[in-house]
Amino acid sequence: MTAVPAPRIEPGKTRHARITGGILIGLAILTAVVFAPDGTGIATFRLSRPTDALVLPNLVVPAVPFIYAAAAVLAFLGARQFLRGGTRWTSLSMGIGLAVAVAAFLVWATTGKAFSLTGMLQATMVRAVPIALGGLAGVLSERVAVVNIAIEGMLLAGAFTGALVGSLLGGMGGLAAAVAIGGLFGFILAALVVTYRMDQIIAGVVINLLVLGLTSYVSSQVFQEYRYLNNAPVFRAVKVPLLGDIPILGPMFFQQNIFVYGALIMVGVATYYLFHTRMGLRARAVGEHPRAADTLGINVYRTRYINVTLAGMVAGFGGAWFTLGSVGRFDEGMTGGRGYIGLAAMIFGRWHPVGALAAALVFGFADSLQQKLALLQTPIPSEFLAMAPYVATIIVVAGLVGRARPPAADGKPYVKE
Amino acid sequence: MTTFTYTLRNLGSATAFLLAMIGPAHAFTACQVTDTGGIDDNSFNQTAWKGVEDAMADFAIDGRFLESQAETDYEANINSLIEGDCDIIITVGFLLGDATQKAARANPDQRFSIVDFAYEPAIPNVLGQVYSTDEAAFLAGYLAAGVSETKILGVFGGINIPPVTIFMDGFVRGVDHYNAQKGASVSVLGWDIDSREGLFTNNFESLDDGRAFAQNLYDEGADIVLPVAGPVGLGSAALADELGTDKLKIIGVDADLYFTDPQKSHVYLTSITKRMDATVRQVIETAMNDTFNGGVLVGSLENGGVDLASFHDLDSAVPQEMKAELDTIREGIIAGTIKVRP
Repeated sequence: MTAVPAPRIEPGKTRHARITGGILIGLAILTAVVFAPDGTGIATFRLSRPTDALVLPNLVVPAVPFIYAAAAVLAFLGARQFLRGGTRWTSLSMGIGLAVAVAAFLVWATTGKAFSLTGMLQATMVRAVPIALGGLAGVLSERVAVVNIAIEGMLLAGAFTGALVGSLLGGMGGLAAAVAIGGLFGFILAALVVTYRMDQIIAGVVINLLVLGLTSYVSSQVFQEYRYLNNAPVFRAVKVPLLGDIPILGPMFFQQNIFVYGALIMVGVATYYLFHTRMGLRARAVGEHPRAADTLGINVYRTRYINVTLAGMVAGFGGAWFTLGSVGRFDEGMTGGRGYIGLAAMIFGRWHPVGALAAALVFGFADSLQQKLALLQTPIPSEFLAMAPYVATIIVVAGLVGRARPPAADGKPYVKE
Repeated sequence: MTTFTYTLRNLGSATAFLLAMIGPAHAFTACQVTDTGGIDDNSFNQTAWKGVEDAMADFAIDGRFLESQAETDYEANINSLIEGDCDIIITVGFLLGDATQKAARANPDQRFSIVDFAYEPAIPNVLGQVYSTDEAAFLAGYLAAGVSETKILGVFGGINIPPVTIFMDGFVRGVDHYNAQKGASVSVLGWDIDSREGLFTNNFESLDDGRAFAQNLYDEGADIVLPVAGPVGLGSAALADELGTDKLKIIGVDADLYFTDPQKSHVYLTSITKRMDATVRQVIETAMNDTFNGGVLVGSLENGGVDLASFHDLDSAVPQEMKAELDTIREGIIAGTIKVRP
């Protein structure tokens, strides 16, 4: 951002702030007019399950005061942005505003009913895992300028291998095999695009095709006959002592299986690796300006091979979640396009591991929210609710993230002279 | 991006096609087009294919299938079978309704049969196979209401279409019947019979959706869940297996999942079976005898086209009294004294 010349910042920023202010005021009006319930309804959010160590009372929210308060906050934030455009808090105001609007919406939808808030947040994390890992795989390879369309195929390969090897050797063996097979496909992708300079999109699609055809074939011909090959153990949730007992956040972050912990750790490690180590700096240099990196003695090809293989391993781990972390069996096409959503999470997360995780969480939240709304019998048709995760991701990204810039050399093969 | 996915999915169906073609030649060939979810979905498509397999064994005919990997495959798959010498083409699933109608009108000499669809008015060369699934689902609802300890039941569907929601309708009405008979107040989450809205995965493939949706219902207190979403329900069974059947039980649909999902068989309280294998076999037989007529073939409790499976491992969870009541209700439905539909 600092690279943008100074004189051009102010008008654009003011305009952006004005737009933000306008949106917030719009949300305030929407909240006050549409969500305002009649009478004295209350919304009940269940915070704990009977099995929790620390049983919390239900969170009971009187709908009318809450929604008017939310509208007032939104109006204040909006007016502030509108009048004092260009202040530093534009994105923050938008973030708070969206959160308040979502809370008001939830209270409106729940008026006179109840649902498990803890369950919803726990589901948010679970649903975000494969997307976050897919996004992270994308970050790792695109940071060295290799566009990775093959994430979907790598997820599927990981899911398949996890189920097959997991059935024979147990969960840990399956997980290791899934990571290895993901790495193998990462290496193949690197070979195709780095050594043979194949078009990166085509190479990715070829891998997706290959994996889908192969796994569907084995699934319908072999697994159908030999069922014991498709009966893997599932990693159960492991509660972290003490931290797992924290109300609300405990179940979300610390009562999960190893895939959730693995995803969180990997995001941290990847961030450290990319932005705080010499290797990471070199990797980013290769993604931005491979010629310059080469001149300085960085082995561009090797860097790309390593990072894309690492990306494949991350995707393989993410793929194993579908079988070893969720349902314990493989089924044709079971990843259901989550790899592509992961790619979108990477872009929304501005090619940053933490950003990709955040985008995945937004998606996961909207996804679990729509499941709850379907149970609460709101007047919104279920097809619209099903769109909610995608719409929410777009709104949050457009509203908060703004323009993102991919690595400069992204998608371009490098020819050493 | 979607074009890529479709292309690559078509590749999968082409492989299946080639494999299914291998075999000795016979005089009569029955061909089948599956819905998405695959021939090995342990449920819907697999049961229908079993009907062809039974016919192959009993009448020494040829059978082959084409898998639809996406909704865009329907027409292409039907058309490629029309060129392939099929004596009857059986399309499996409500979603193939439009594609089948189009192909049937364009090829009036080709005999078609479609599972889960009835045309109004009837097309002379298409026999629709429909099922009064709500009759069996009614029994399942009554059973679940009596067995539930939390007095909360959960249901979710694949897509909001009649062959799916008919299960949910019957289930909810069965629960209502229980409440009316016993003065109880068992509730069903996930389907509002009046507004026609509820909980849907909007796909028949993502097994982890089945787990997540069942978890959602469990979090809200449900201890018995009915997933009406083909293989997606297998994900719900994985959750029930993990939690234990004392906390969560699953009711299967289409086939008796106790047999088709043997690894998780203990989690199934029962299954609402839709004997597509029986009706498909019957349709093939009529086509072979030249007694084939367009119109509708209805599977019901009375003719065994739909039924409630045994309780198998969970037999002890069902009181003797409940079993007797279910028999009475079954007779009532067949005799018409108990109304499954208003």
